[in-house]
Amino acid sequence: MSDLTSYSGIPLEPFYAPEGEGEAPGSYPYTRGKRLPRPGQSWILRELSGEGTAECSNAQFKSLIAKGQQGLDVIGDSPTMAMLDPDHPHAEHAVGTQGVSLCCRADYEMLYRDLPLDSLSFSQSLPSVAAIGGLYLVATARGVAAEKLRGSAIQVALYEDDCCYSRHLPLALRTRLATDSIAFATEKMPKFHALLEDTYYFSESGLESVEEMALGFVELRFYIRALIERGIDVDAFAPRIGILLTCRMDLFEEIAKIRASRRLYARMMKEEFGARDARSMALTVTAHTSGLTMTAQQPVNNVARGGMQALAMALAGVQAMEVSTFDEAYRTPSAEAHLVGLRTQQIVQLETNVTKVADPLGGSYYVEALTDEMERRIAAEVVRIEAAGDIAELAEQGYFRRIFVNAMERLGRDLADGTLQRVGDTCHTVPEDEDRMLKDAAERKIEPCHEQIDRIRDFKCSRDQNRVKQALGALHDAARDESCNLMVSYIAALTADATVGETAGVLRQAYGQAYDPLAGLPSPLDG
Amino acid sequence: MVNIARPIKILIAILGTDQHEVGALAISALLRDAGMEVIYSGRFNLPAGVVTSAVQEDVDVIGISAHSWEYLHYLDDIFTELTEAGACIPVVVGGSVVTQSDKAGMLAQGIAAAFGPRESASEIVAEIRRLVMPEGGKTQ
Repeated sequence: MSDLTSYSGIPLEPFYAPEGEGEAPGSYPYTRGKRLPRPGQSWILRELSGEGTAECSNAQFKSLIAKGQQGLDVIGDSPTMAMLDPDHPHAEHAVGTQGVSLCCRADYEMLYRDLPLDSLSFSQSLPSVAAIGGLYLVATARGVAAEKLRGSAIQVALYEDDCCYSRHLPLALRTRLATDSIAFATEKMPKFHALLEDTYYFSESGLESVEEMALGFVELRFYIRALIERGIDVDAFAPRIGILLTCRMDLFEEIAKIRASRRLYARMMKEEFGARDARSMALTVTAHTSGLTMTAQQPVNNVARGGMQALAMALAGVQAMEVSTFDEAYRTPSAEAHLVGLRTQQIVQLETNVTKVADPLGGSYYVEALTDEMERRIAAEVVRIEAAGDIAELAEQGYFRRIFVNAMERLGRDLADGTLQRVGDTCHTVPEDEDRMLKDAAERKIEPCHEQIDRIRDFKCSRDQNRVKQALGALHDAARDESCNLMVSYIAALTADATVGETAGVLRQAYGQAYDPLAGLPSPLDG
Repeated sequence: MVNIARPIKILIAILGTDQHEVGALAISALLRDAGMEVIYSGRFNLPAGVVTSAVQEDVDVIGISAHSWEYLHYLDDIFTELTEAGACIPVVVGGSVVTQSDKAGMLAQGIAAAFGPRESASEIVAEIRRLVMPEGGKTQ
């Protein structure tokens, strides 16, 4: 069967549009897709991974690649996401349980051991300075040209304190870390998406789709303005902007959201930010199945949810996806859930034929109307928020925090009063003793990785302390100088065996904050 | 006659580095809707801090919200801190990650009640009321 026929042999066009008119996929304003599908190519298949030590996660990567995964998608454990070292008093019971523990150069070297840095794509849900710095220093040490590095790092400066990624860093510092790391990667790692706007993690507060994208655009615009203000040409960094969004169960709305976002983005980049390069106007979209839609009850039902969401994301034309399935309500994916998620993607990719024609829903009265309305509502919400005041001031005043808290409270009420239905949870439930299918696998716990705590304690004692102190001092001084890019001294500190927790601490000090606001640990600079 | 009762006062806390607040804030709203006074102590708590706040605020119940398994490792420390403070405050745990076998283990450990994903908001409210007002009313 030729690539461009249906199963019955009907010849297919790469896309369909009214004769002689209408927007083509891969052309401005990109409603119908970033590009026309190339034969044999679809989205990047990947699954969210990272568990225990860097060594354990490296083995997990290799196992996923052997099963057909095409890019790596790594998330840090909760101490790593909070920029706390494993030996921090708050981290004790969380090391390696919800992602990988990464706190120093040796961890990054182990994470990427034996992996082809010049051909794999590394998507990283990690603090962006550590993610970009870690990948860069490992590549440099191995002699891999940084220009070849591909992947992405999430930038979460505006909302990190309000949602799940608080690092106890002041907003001015968070913004600087984001823009410095983007500026650094734009120059040194031009293929890397250093500005991945992550609307996924903050949507897990219970936002609906318009709120999700409006807040995403508000943050994206905040970064773009800051980068342009520091004199970087929009066409230097914009071709590598992406959005990592969530996919809920209202499938047509989710598809329309993606189409509307591409169009909004294209017009914004061209008309407002003056982009001239077409690549600066064509948004990269990656998606992750919404954890909030997955239930703890009857976990096998989540496999069906993941399948439908994967299909929706394929129909919307995303560049990469992650499908979390049956154990999502309990944990980061188990090996079994990884396999189900990956096979789900492969079934959609190889069996359904949905990848053969770009934007197959384009032209549907319903989908086009919904796309127009999503675009109108997202744009209006962005205008409303930006009219409320200076974005940084709004963030400091708790304006966004209130949006997220309202969403969290609304979600609880909607589930309690039946406004939101979830099969197996709010309706069609089964007695506890009958709810056994995949339950054992879903509930299997990941034990805290205490050997990593011991290892880091030993590592901290065995380092060249003077070298560490010197590098942290240099990072601190660089942070006091607004005119320099922090990434150079950040990478130098990691190279000198400073830990991520220590770098965060001295950066806080440079911005007039306590080294360790949680437990009052002493700063290595004060000793 | 109607009892002139003060509202039930409950402290809601998340432990360790678990930063998922969706359950904690959702249940806080539902408990407030049910007429309770909620002291929301948010993220990044350790057992000593939770118990100190609970005693200072004179709460009737300590509620631990959990979206990761860290809480399981902290419960013994919470009981030790309560004993050292000479406080007798019931501790309840709730969260989507709380399984049936976790519940059994925690109840044996001394938890007053545990709520997993199956418990409805009204069941949680009723259970907390039962814990504080075993005979149907609490007076000042």
